[in-house]
Amino acid sequence: MINFEKELKNFKPSLEVEDAESVIQNHDLTDVTDIITEVLRDARESTGR
Amino acid sequence: MICYRCGAEAKEAVRCPACGADLSLFRTVKSLSNVYYNMGLEQAGVRNLSGAVVSLKNSLKFNKYNIEARNLLGLVYCEMGEVVDALSEWVISRSYQPEDNLASRYLDEIQQNRGYLDTVNQTIKKFNLALNYCKQDSRDLAVIQLKKVLSLNPKLVKAYQLLALLYLQEGKLEQAKKTLRGAGKIDTDNTMTLRYLKEVNARLKEKSPSKKPKDDDLISYQSGNETIIMPKRFKESSIGSSLLYIVLGLVVGTAVTACLIVPNVRNQAKEEASRQVLEASDTIATNGQTIKELEGQIDALEGQLEEEKDNNAKVKEQISSYETLLKAYVSYHENDITAAGAALDKVNTKYLSSSAKAIFKGIDEEVQGQYLDALYEEGYNAYQQGRYEEAIKNLKKVIKEQEDYRDGSAAYYLAQSYRHNGDLKSARPYYQYVIDNYPNTQRALTAQNYVNAQE
Repeated sequence: MINFEKELKNFKPSLEVEDAESVIQNHDLTDVTDIITEVLRDARESTGR
Repeated sequence: MICYRCGAEAKEAVRCPACGADLSLFRTVKSLSNVYYNMGLEQAGVRNLSGAVVSLKNSLKFNKYNIEARNLLGLVYCEMGEVVDALSEWVISRSYQPEDNLASRYLDEIQQNRGYLDTVNQTIKKFNLALNYCKQDSRDLAVIQLKKVLSLNPKLVKAYQLLALLYLQEGKLEQAKKTLRGAGKIDTDNTMTLRYLKEVNARLKEKSPSKKPKDDDLISYQSGNETIIMPKRFKESSIGSSLLYIVLGLVVGTAVTACLIVPNVRNQAKEEASRQVLEASDTIATNGQTIKELEGQIDALEGQLEEEKDNNAKVKEQISSYETLLKAYVSYHENDITAAGAALDKVNTKYLSSSAKAIFKGIDEEVQGQYLDALYEEGYNAYQQGRYEEAIKNLKKVIKEQEDYRDGSAAYYLAQSYRHNGDLKSARPYYQYVIDNYPNTQRALTAQNYVNAQE
């Protein structure tokens, strides 16, 4: 049985065109490659020490 | 492939030819990104758009530089009516690869079509308004807004879903089903759409169970290849009973029409009317807002007009002051001291520039003494000749500039002129001035006598 109030919470306001700039600026662009590079760099530094 | 450590081009090598770094792990990550991209592409191909969004996002989590995956994600968002998200993905894509990128073409097309972008923004605003109406329990207004949204942007999946949810809540199951089918045409495997559809179907089933009533009054049998169905009890009826059945049928028909169909039609008409009222109130609210804005503009413009009027008056005053100063200057050069002094009296120095003020001061210093002498002479002669009003006018000007002019003579003759003119009340302050400032003089004695006589 669908609960209207509960379902309503699943709907979020859409982003307006004026907000596009802030969305792009706050976009998290970290990917797995970044994470691996970071891990490898840390490992290399600790070995170097 | 570019080496993560030194940035050199490694092509297909497992180790970087420049620094020797191991690139196998990065190759695996890149191929995983491509697997997700292929999955997303396949899902988008069969219009499983929400599935494609998930796959493409995963692809970008593994490799953010997967330009094709990012462009496709933007395209899928655009197809789902989420234009702002699409724009964001394309802008990021173009920043990663400015040359030879499909995203540039998409962005250019949207930027060239300014009207489209305005319409999209309008639909987004209306959708957000509808969502607010839902939260405030104004469902009727929300339905109207969502219908407008879908007429402007028939691809916005979540607008279909919200509208279907509202219909579901109001028990309008057929309309909910139709709306959900609309959403399903755009995004076939959307979980939310499917969940609502399941709920609608379940409720519809509850409402009209598809059980076939068993008719006990019928019998059927096979005759050759044909199935014969006939009533169990067959009775021939007479003409009278047939007429009776017809009359009864008519009566029952009329009763059904009166009891069931007419109220239903009335209800529909009422619903239609209330819907129109809601639409009208929505329009009125919008117009009211516009009127308020216009009234605000009118007030601002009226304020500006008043300001301009004030400025205009100031400018006129300024021009008049300069013209009077010019007249005074001309009169001074023609040795007409009285006219120059009179003109200088009318100049409002507040509106003069500093250089004009210097000219004013120069002329005023030259003219003032001679002007007062001329005024006093004119006033005194008028007094002697019995022209008291003229005397009052000139001597008052003298007093205004210099109260103690010629040891109070101007004040004394002004008082005398007032007295001869029958205005003792106006004469008294000037007599008093002479008494207070020049005691023990003949004029003070005379002034005192007149004051005493008045009392």
